[in-house]
Amino acid sequence: MRIPVVLTAILAVSVAAPCVAFAQHGMPGGTPMTFFVTSEPIGNGGNLGGLAGADAHCQQLARAVGAGNRTWRAYLSTQARPGQPAVNARDRIGTGPWYNFDGVMIARDLAHLHGDTLELARLGNNLHKRTGLTEKGQIVPGLNDYQVPRDTDWEYSKTTPYTNRHEMLTGSQLDGRAFPPGIDYTCNSWTSNADPTSGGPQVLEGGAGRPNAQIGFPDRNGGGNGSWNSSHGTTGCSQTALNRTHGVGMFYCFATN
Amino acid sequence: MKNRLLWMMIGPLVVASTAAAQGRGNVAMPTSDRVPSSLMTFFVTSRPIGDGGNLGGLAGADAHCQALATEVGAGGKTWRAYLSTQARPGQPAVNARDRIGSGPWYNAKERLPDYLNRRLQRPIIQSEIHGDTLDEARRGSNLTKEFAVTEKGELVNGIGDPMPTRHDILTGSQPDGRAFTDTDDRTCNNWTSNGAGSAQVGHSDRIGNGNQSWNSSHATTGCSQRDLISWGGVGLFYCFAVN
Repeated sequence: MRIPVVLTAILAVSVAAPCVAFAQHGMPGGTPMTFFVTSEPIGNGGNLGGLAGADAHCQQLARAVGAGNRTWRAYLSTQARPGQPAVNARDRIGTGPWYNFDGVMIARDLAHLHGDTLELARLGNNLHKRTGLTEKGQIVPGLNDYQVPRDTDWEYSKTTPYTNRHEMLTGSQLDGRAFPPGIDYTCNSWTSNADPTSGGPQVLEGGAGRPNAQIGFPDRNGGGNGSWNSSHGTTGCSQTALNRTHGVGMFYCFATN
Repeated sequence: MKNRLLWMMIGPLVVASTAAAQGRGNVAMPTSDRVPSSLMTFFVTSRPIGDGGNLGGLAGADAHCQALATEVGAGGKTWRAYLSTQARPGQPAVNARDRIGSGPWYNAKERLPDYLNRRLQRPIIQSEIHGDTLDEARRGSNLTKEFAVTEKGELVNGIGDPMPTRHDILTGSQPDGRAFTDTDDRTCNNWTSNGAGSAQVGHSDRIGNGNQSWNSSHATTGCSQRDLISWGGVGLFYCFAVN
């Protein structure tokens, strides 16, 4: 009687062990992925087809790697319009905790993700270059990867997937909430691929009449600060303009369940 | 004797012409690629003192900063180690942030403007590295792995780099840059112990322990050199110029 019990225990351990050792998204016993960076952009600049289009992109990419059973949301805000309230990115993504492709926790909860207290903000969350992975488990090329002069030229970047592309569209403030109405921070609620019409100096912030998107960095290295969700703006909303500052229109996806 | 004189005269010419010949066909080395740049007011020590958490107190650590800076021709500035000490009877606490002047601080590498005419290297400033306001704390600073280089301009090995990892940087400080106020040892007995005790460390690559703190990520167990190595450091610390 005793031997079968021991045998069963040994068997149970030996079956469970690999799951622990190689715990990964998609494997039995692994921590399921509930966060990723889109491995590819939609490709039409800041026109994502609105929040619905962006969510569908998240869902589609997740489905392609067998994670389509969850409800995926793009981490994007939209600004208030007459008769249309603002949408805050942080209110769209559930309550966490969120885990990346490797099963590593990005943040425990919304407060940890956004640094809602001074103490939390100073320590930071666990999103960095080695955890900000795509749904395929890829590291997103960042500031010091494959530096070539043409890495800000979309015609080049779109066929060269290892050039710097670390600017994630968020349209959000540091706290994960929408900017007040007026100056555009969301490429017209993610429906515009337009660039500024006036030929003024290129500045990386919103301004009157300037299509613009607020971006952040999964590698926490850029814009002189390293904010993951609200570092600076763009030179416009076309695919070409996004790439001018090392973005290609990728964004964060979070599972709400 | 004659030969020596001759060589003293033509030697520099030979050297100069050789250098010129090597320069042809290459892009001339811009003066601002010198390491360290004349702007350097911040570095991570390229090597530890080597006696664990015993740095010879703050004075010993400051002297180490000054010596390393002098080795690379930056000894003209006054250098301070970014370290706190805890209060003792008759001895008030010292806060790391109060020792380092007011900044802004530049690292050893001065970068040329890039092809979009952007200077990538932004200095680090007091309020941003310590997150003095909620916005600043959330936004972060430019103290990245690429910024936190040694006085020789070399990267400090971090997570994902070849072992050994050297990213644990001694600070003895809280995230706001001030000394701990509890009774636990956080400073290897005010940087005099290479045995018992504990040191609070930050990560120069901003990765580890589930947070991104450069100055207060976790504590070590023990203060020997071996203890520090077991945690992913070798006893390096940050040096700031106060002037």
